[in-house]
Amino acid sequence: MPELLDSASPGGRDRPVERTQAPTRPVEVAEPARSAVPAAPMMLCQRVSKWYGAIRGVLDVTLELRGGLTGLVGANGAGKTTLIRLITGQLRPDSGSVQIAGIEAHRPEARRLIGYCPDTDAFYEEMSGRAFVREMARLCGFPASEVQRRTEAVLKRVGMAERADRPIRGYSKGMRQRVKLAQALLHDPPLLVLDEPMSGIDPVGRAEFVTLFHSLANQGKCLLVSSHELDELEKLTNHVVIMSHGRIAAADTVPRIRERLVAAPLTYCLEVQRGETGLRHRELAAQLLQRVPSLRRIELSEPSEQIGRLLIQTDSPPLFLSVLQSLILEEWYEIVHLQAFDESTAAVLEYLLNCRR
Amino acid sequence: MADLNAKPVLLHYRGWRGSLQGDGVASTFGFLAVQAALFGVAALVPSGLVRVLLLGVFLANFLFVSRSRAWPIARVALLMLFRRRLFWGLYALSITVFLCYFFGQYLMSWAQGLLGESEIRVGGVARVQPKWLLETLRDTLHFNGSPLTFRDFFWFEANTVMIALAFSGAVLIGNDFRYGSLAFYLAKPISTWHYLLGKGLAVVVFLNLFTTLPAVVLWLQFGMLESWEYFTEQSYLLLGILAYGLVLSTSLTIVLLATAAWLRATVPLIMAWMTLFVFAQAVSSALVDGLRFSPLWRLIDLWNCTYVIGNALLHADLSKIRPSPQPEVWQAALVLLGVCSACLSYLIPRVRAVEIVP
Repeated sequence: MPELLDSASPGGRDRPVERTQAPTRPVEVAEPARSAVPAAPMMLCQRVSKWYGAIRGVLDVTLELRGGLTGLVGANGAGKTTLIRLITGQLRPDSGSVQIAGIEAHRPEARRLIGYCPDTDAFYEEMSGRAFVREMARLCGFPASEVQRRTEAVLKRVGMAERADRPIRGYSKGMRQRVKLAQALLHDPPLLVLDEPMSGIDPVGRAEFVTLFHSLANQGKCLLVSSHELDELEKLTNHVVIMSHGRIAAADTVPRIRERLVAAPLTYCLEVQRGETGLRHRELAAQLLQRVPSLRRIELSEPSEQIGRLLIQTDSPPLFLSVLQSLILEEWYEIVHLQAFDESTAAVLEYLLNCRR
Repeated sequence: MADLNAKPVLLHYRGWRGSLQGDGVASTFGFLAVQAALFGVAALVPSGLVRVLLLGVFLANFLFVSRSRAWPIARVALLMLFRRRLFWGLYALSITVFLCYFFGQYLMSWAQGLLGESEIRVGGVARVQPKWLLETLRDTLHFNGSPLTFRDFFWFEANTVMIALAFSGAVLIGNDFRYGSLAFYLAKPISTWHYLLGKGLAVVVFLNLFTTLPAVVLWLQFGMLESWEYFTEQSYLLLGILAYGLVLSTSLTIVLLATAAWLRATVPLIMAWMTLFVFAQAVSSALVDGLRFSPLWRLIDLWNCTYVIGNALLHADLSKIRPSPQPEVWQAALVLLGVCSACLSYLIPRVRAVEIVP
């Protein structure tokens, strides 16, 4: 039984590798540094497909997780839950294979390595949270004394030690999430698969969970977190696996995915300092319109006497930035602020999903 | 408030050098083999004392079940049942039958001691002849510790057990499938067989609380009232009771697991269970007793099949089975075997497929 590490490990920076190419636009991904890579990846899906009769669950998915925190995002019906069930061994793939540290995922030995926090709230309502976690610890195969210790440790860690004796039926959604997380942490698994773990949690609780997940990742654990709460996911990790229509649309850090989405529209906010001849942002707008054909939209405003502001949306960010660079050098525009919007996970996800439609 | 800038608190467990229990599948089958061997030897030995001792070991061995990996699942399931008022209501109903036999045997024992009297007062209101009372208790109600006592006891428990099993099936298994609690179990390092064994174990415990356990208590009570020789001379009855319990436990557990896995929701499960046992019994009775069809029609009633087999196991006189006529024992056994095989052939692919998604 592996003991938990108490020091940060480079595992927290290992990243998933996704080998499936998005049909609309290939998304290249970087291979992790080979020197730090163990022989068998923590989780490996190889060309996995799963069908429910005529309905596609996931299709030809290849994904490799070696450590750290990874977000799993996608619209409803994108195949996230099916992928999670395949990884946790609850489903067997129709084709391809899912391995956990080299062991087939459906084998009980593989499940010793996985901590799973399902999205369902299907507890035994009459039981207390403590009794539920204790029974789950027994199922892990611990002797009685260890069951007791681990139960108390995980309940304390998720902030439920004081409240775990009440029947589950009286728990709030957040308390239920904490109990679910506690049972997933019981056997100190190296791979944690968390399906919507922050759903229903209050802001304070979310912050605690984010801290906990970071600490677990720093201990060298591999976390796969599925979430619809993209804002929260961004606080947790910027490394995501984006699923769409049963396939993996992209898997990498959000900025790197964004970099590769060359033709994705991007909105920039430009603030131009007043020059000797007055505010020059209108002049800059005119020159940009002339030299960048892919501009979609320009908005002008004057928030102060000294600043002129432009809000520009372009289909070709590299061309826009190149032209802007030339204009600054040639015309001496004093740009005091340049900010790109639409680089959030939500924007990337929206773009990818729209592309695939 | 959570301090977002605080250094992450790591989760520490004190060093533990123990090893996790194995998956327990081999030890489970080992246990079952030992129990089957004990039971087989007890059935074959001629000595009543040795038989009782062997059966005592057989019963005591079930304490080891608490060390099985399936036991936590069974325990949770049983706790869920014990927390329901309906269970206690049904159990109280079942205990009424047991108490009727329990005090009936005392009444008979008391009446035997008063045979010399011409009349006795019963309950402070009626006056009866001890001989008549004794004959009624012994020959009509069979409160005499004979095979018929236990056969009737199992028969009278039928309706309560069927209703209880219909509800328990939904609580024990159906809800897990329906609401997705199964995900918690199957994400733990146990095989799907453990899940089924655990749930099956819960059904077995539940069923035997209603049937075999009270029957064994009655056997012990009668031995204590009659004489110590009863335990050795009638040891075959203990064997028969346990064998009957085994037949009931195995067959009904398999049928219940299959129907619960198939139907999942409480109401359809209760309807199916009632159809299988109550409706089938009414139909078979109407066909055979009313329309004088072949007694083979009674084979559609599964509880009757177990009853016929139970009669044979208790060495009861098959010609005196009520209601009669009845099919042959081998025919009932064949039907029960067929139904169990069909249920297993439905369950095994589900187990192998690991699928929990409809």
